[in-house]
Amino acid sequence: MSNHLFVGKGIPRTIEADKVTGRAVYIDDLKRPGMLFGKILYSKYAHARIKGVETSKAEKLPGVRAVLTGLNTPSVRVGFLNDQVPLKGEVVRQFRDEVAAVAAISPDIAEEALELIEVEYEELPAVFDPLEAMKEDAPLVHEVDARGRPVRTNMLPLPWRFNAGDVEEARKNSAYTVKDRVQTTWVSQCCMGTSGCVAEFDMNGNLTLYNQTNVPFLDKQRITEYFSKIGLAGKKVRVVNAVVGGSFGTKLDTDIYEFIGILLALKTRRPVKILFTREEEFRTLPPRQPAIFDIEQGCDRTGKLTFRKVDAVLDNGAYTSWGATTPSVMMMPISSLYRVPNVSFEAKCVYTNNIYCQAMRGYGNPQATFAVETSMDRLAEEAGIDPGKFRLMNCNHPGEETPMRLRITSCGLEECIHAVQEKLNWEDKKGKNKGRGVGMASLIHVAGGARVYKSDGHGMMIKVDQNGNVDVLESGTDQGQGSPTVISQMVAEALGFRPEDISLTMGDTGLCLWDAGTHASRHTFMAGNAALEACEKVKRQILEMAAEHMPRVIKRGFKYKKRKDPDFVEPDLDYGLITDPDNLDIKDRIIFPNSDPEHPYFKVEVSQILTNALHVGTGESKVVVGEAFYDPPTEMLDREMKGNLSCTYAFGTTGVEVEVDEETGEVKILDLVAAHDVGKAINPTLVKGQIYGAAYTGVGYALTEEMALRAGRVTNPNFRDYKMLTAKDVVPVEPIIIEPGDEAGPYGAKGIGEPGLVPTAPAIANAVYDAIGVRIKELPITPEKVLAALRERADVC
Amino acid sequence: MQEAFDLLNEYGPKAALIAGGTDVLVKIRNTKKAPPVLISLRGLKDLAYIRKDGGYAIGALTTHRMLELSDLVKAELGALHDAASQVGSVQIRNVATLGGNICNAAPSADTAGPLLVLDASAVIEGPQGRRTVPMVEFFMGTYKTILKQGEILIGFHIPESMATFGSAYWKHSRREAMELPLLGVAASIRLSQGRAVLDGRIALTVAAPTPVRAYKAEEFLKGKPLDPEVLREAGRIAASPDCCSPRDSLRCEAWYRREMIQVFVPRMINLAAERGGNP
Amino acid sequence: MEKISVSFTLNGYAVTAEVPATWSFLRTLRDYFELTGTKEGCGVGECGACTVIVEGKAVNACLYPVHEMEGLSVTTIEGLTGEDGGMHPLQTAFLENNGVQCGFCTSGMIMSAKALLDENPHPTEEEIRTGIAGNFCRCTGYIQIVEAIDMAAKAVK
Repeated sequence: MSNHLFVGKGIPRTIEADKVTGRAVYIDDLKRPGMLFGKILYSKYAHARIKGVETSKAEKLPGVRAVLTGLNTPSVRVGFLNDQVPLKGEVVRQFRDEVAAVAAISPDIAEEALELIEVEYEELPAVFDPLEAMKEDAPLVHEVDARGRPVRTNMLPLPWRFNAGDVEEARKNSAYTVKDRVQTTWVSQCCMGTSGCVAEFDMNGNLTLYNQTNVPFLDKQRITEYFSKIGLAGKKVRVVNAVVGGSFGTKLDTDIYEFIGILLALKTRRPVKILFTREEEFRTLPPRQPAIFDIEQGCDRTGKLTFRKVDAVLDNGAYTSWGATTPSVMMMPISSLYRVPNVSFEAKCVYTNNIYCQAMRGYGNPQATFAVETSMDRLAEEAGIDPGKFRLMNCNHPGEETPMRLRITSCGLEECIHAVQEKLNWEDKKGKNKGRGVGMASLIHVAGGARVYKSDGHGMMIKVDQNGNVDVLESGTDQGQGSPTVISQMVAEALGFRPEDISLTMGDTGLCLWDAGTHASRHTFMAGNAALEACEKVKRQILEMAAEHMPRVIKRGFKYKKRKDPDFVEPDLDYGLITDPDNLDIKDRIIFPNSDPEHPYFKVEVSQILTNALHVGTGESKVVVGEAFYDPPTEMLDREMKGNLSCTYAFGTTGVEVEVDEETGEVKILDLVAAHDVGKAINPTLVKGQIYGAAYTGVGYALTEEMALRAGRVTNPNFRDYKMLTAKDVVPVEPIIIEPGDEAGPYGAKGIGEPGLVPTAPAIANAVYDAIGVRIKELPITPEKVLAALRERADVC
Repeated sequence: MQEAFDLLNEYGPKAALIAGGTDVLVKIRNTKKAPPVLISLRGLKDLAYIRKDGGYAIGALTTHRMLELSDLVKAELGALHDAASQVGSVQIRNVATLGGNICNAAPSADTAGPLLVLDASAVIEGPQGRRTVPMVEFFMGTYKTILKQGEILIGFHIPESMATFGSAYWKHSRREAMELPLLGVAASIRLSQGRAVLDGRIALTVAAPTPVRAYKAEEFLKGKPLDPEVLREAGRIAASPDCCSPRDSLRCEAWYRREMIQVFVPRMINLAAERGGNP
Repeated sequence: MEKISVSFTLNGYAVTAEVPATWSFLRTLRDYFELTGTKEGCGVGECGACTVIVEGKAVNACLYPVHEMEGLSVTTIEGLTGEDGGMHPLQTAFLENNGVQCGFCTSGMIMSAKALLDENPHPTEEEIRTGIAGNFCRCTGYIQIVEAIDMAAKAVK
């Protein structure tokens, strides 16, 4: 294992040199001949009926090539629950509803045209509080469902109900119980590159969508299905990613702007680019799903967890995207973080006239873990047990099956908790309560794929040319996480080549096989396993060619030597060692016999074999190509929401030391230790990068970030008022990489993309409590909330 | 300069002045409205200077970055250095001018409080000639200054007496950069041998429609020893309706602003005292 | 739309742009010169993605009216690579230390760092963080960026 040349090394991202030299082409930079610019007009009301749309002035503006509204586009529903149309013609249900779209020869003209479109609205009563929206007399956000049947409630017909064991009985037998309500709010993914795409039809009506998606194949499928409903059945779709300026969950759905871009391209018969401004991005891009949790937990006298009961209310906004599916992930920490035998969970999603939500790094896990891990601390306190000890007592271990039927294989949680306690000097710092405190929280997350759809497959094709250059057609996508480097390392290692030999093509449905999506922290795991399989095939082909050609190549070498140096005596060698492909291997581009790796003469550079073996002659010429489609041995969740949906799970613990200024309520992070069980770090530098970035976003989630919606309107749609942290907001992060290995993971690796974020907020909340004895149950933990709580406590005392 | 006046005269109220542009251009982008004519002052290089000749003279086109990098300003005009160093980012500070920021007259202007506590005056040039207006009279309302049509602010003057004061400015914000303040507290102080207040100034920003001096709190401080009780009371007075009227805004609630005034008036007076203002 | 003519030095070359008077320098770079390495992240000077170096100072190109460029000397990310294609130590360091992830903030980040190192060849960590405080990054948490700038400072002799 430690014999690896590339895996396990922090090799540089040289393959991405275009990004540091200004050469990388993002959607912003992409130009297609004849390209037009699309802009979208949004609703002026949170809830209103559209009485009329007047577009003649806009259409007449010189430079405008198309004006689309809900009236001249197909009323075909899209989305996870088919509850919206791309351009709204009858009712608008949130401020970000798309009412019209313009394509023009310049973005300025398109903007100007938008201002010339007149929309007449009849305002309707709106509801912005999910708890209010659940009431019987609440205004209805939708009057009919996807099939046109009348709807009498704002509740979504979603089946989020989980039960294991007997919570009622367990509660009776618990020595200690705690009950709390905690809340998380909307936060924005804040990708530095804004949303956008370029839609282009060819003369035969086939679409190429230049995009930024995490799910090119699902995107292609959704658009194909949309085509069949708008009279374009049989037309083909190719999704090709540009370089992506960050995703963090924003690109898992097929967004409305994609459909609009496609409709504009269809109308104008020209390529159309849609690119969001920053304000548009903040105002309209679906953010992270907020949640209200009522959580109850109990333990026995010794501190062993007896039950966990969680009821959640999710503000679904006006339409449905992935936000409504976050309960499927919330179930993971709720049922399986620590050993708890009796669990019940119910999540209600309710329509409101607020912005709807999609995925964001962690996908429900950060929200649910905030509830679970702050409740754990409360319970530990009730039971009189140190929170670190409490967690160790209930720690997950390898070989266990959780109430959700997740099968834990590798598990470094215990090591993570210990590492945090040690690094933070937990024993000394805990419980001082003098304005400084420590807190911790752990996580469980999928790390070996995630069978969200029927197929959790991932395909890879590898071909090698006569020079030994390797083309990898990789079905996943790159959002910046470092996949090209990591995949090059794994392919190079498996094949016996070097990372610099490898060219990767990713994110092109026309060239790559198929993948469920670069989500759920699954890319390295899936691509690595596909690579191992594909490389084995490729290597086999090369070694069979080597077995055939190697002796000839060596003997030719001797002849050449003899010509140059007549005194040279050709050694007498056992060529049998290199005529059996089973006895050959490749390392660092050199083919050699396994039985005698140090043989002085049996070392041939791989390109020499390929040059001789590929373009041979009539009937004999070959290519070297191998493909693999890896679909892991996992299950979809059954009707009871149970099933081992991933091959393996990530674990980790974040510990934080904070200092609270009791006069201002400001929380300063003195130290943040993030210990993560990653199985094996294929590239430790990149793994650290994922931990740093995710932890930082987690700190923002905990302390400063919130989308301030007031009556459905985003009132802070810019970087000045949306408080994403700057480089001067120092958070000392100490990453600790725990590597227990994993038998399912490629080289033992598990996912790390999301875990770094998950436990950050509860760790901070727990630390704040340790510092000042005040528990803030609503994120973000702002200075105002802390100060108000301190004052309240002072009043009470 | 003459060209600027000629242009101002020619275009009258249609024209607006632009220096660094970091306020004007952002306003244009966000509101999608622009004045018909923009007269750029950026070329007036000789209006960018920091000089000490008796008192202190700072040209209107001095950038915040120049103030940040100036040893003189750091050593002797502490509050102004604090403020200038924390405006936006390096990119903004390289371009945004002191004059431009003050003429924008936002109630949140970081440098406004320091100029108030440093007894600064605005030097204004106009068709009627030159006039000097104390900064306490410069702000007429939110985004409104005393400048008349056709006038240009050309610089600031801080009296020599300020060299005997120590000064400090606190910008209360949620992040350490890229911020407008939620609340600004500037203080300057001069102490006697026995650490009693000989003279002091307190200015608050984002606590009223314009940057304001907290006169009642200053009066209270005069002659008193600099101990925690005194400072706490000064903070309380400064935060009271006698001195300011902080509002609830989308960014921050009034009660928190009042609390922060009470916290930072004492802290800034202490810091100002540490820095100088001791004989 | 009235066009103006502005002449200045761009990455060492004397150039002239003929663009609408209302264009920002950022738009001029991207749409007129097709130098798309400098990015628009917000358009209002709040993110730093458009940072370029004008007369040695880091500025937001989105807030720089194009006419103000007359006679000045500007460097963009494209100008950092040597004539022979060799990368600047900052660029190498960002690749080596994972200072670049999605890369969208990277052009602006590197230009801020370059301006910093030109003015202050041996910055402390605090000075580095101040130098890039006007550049937002969502991917990295800044830590490996600060390390990379420190590495580059030590490499630039």
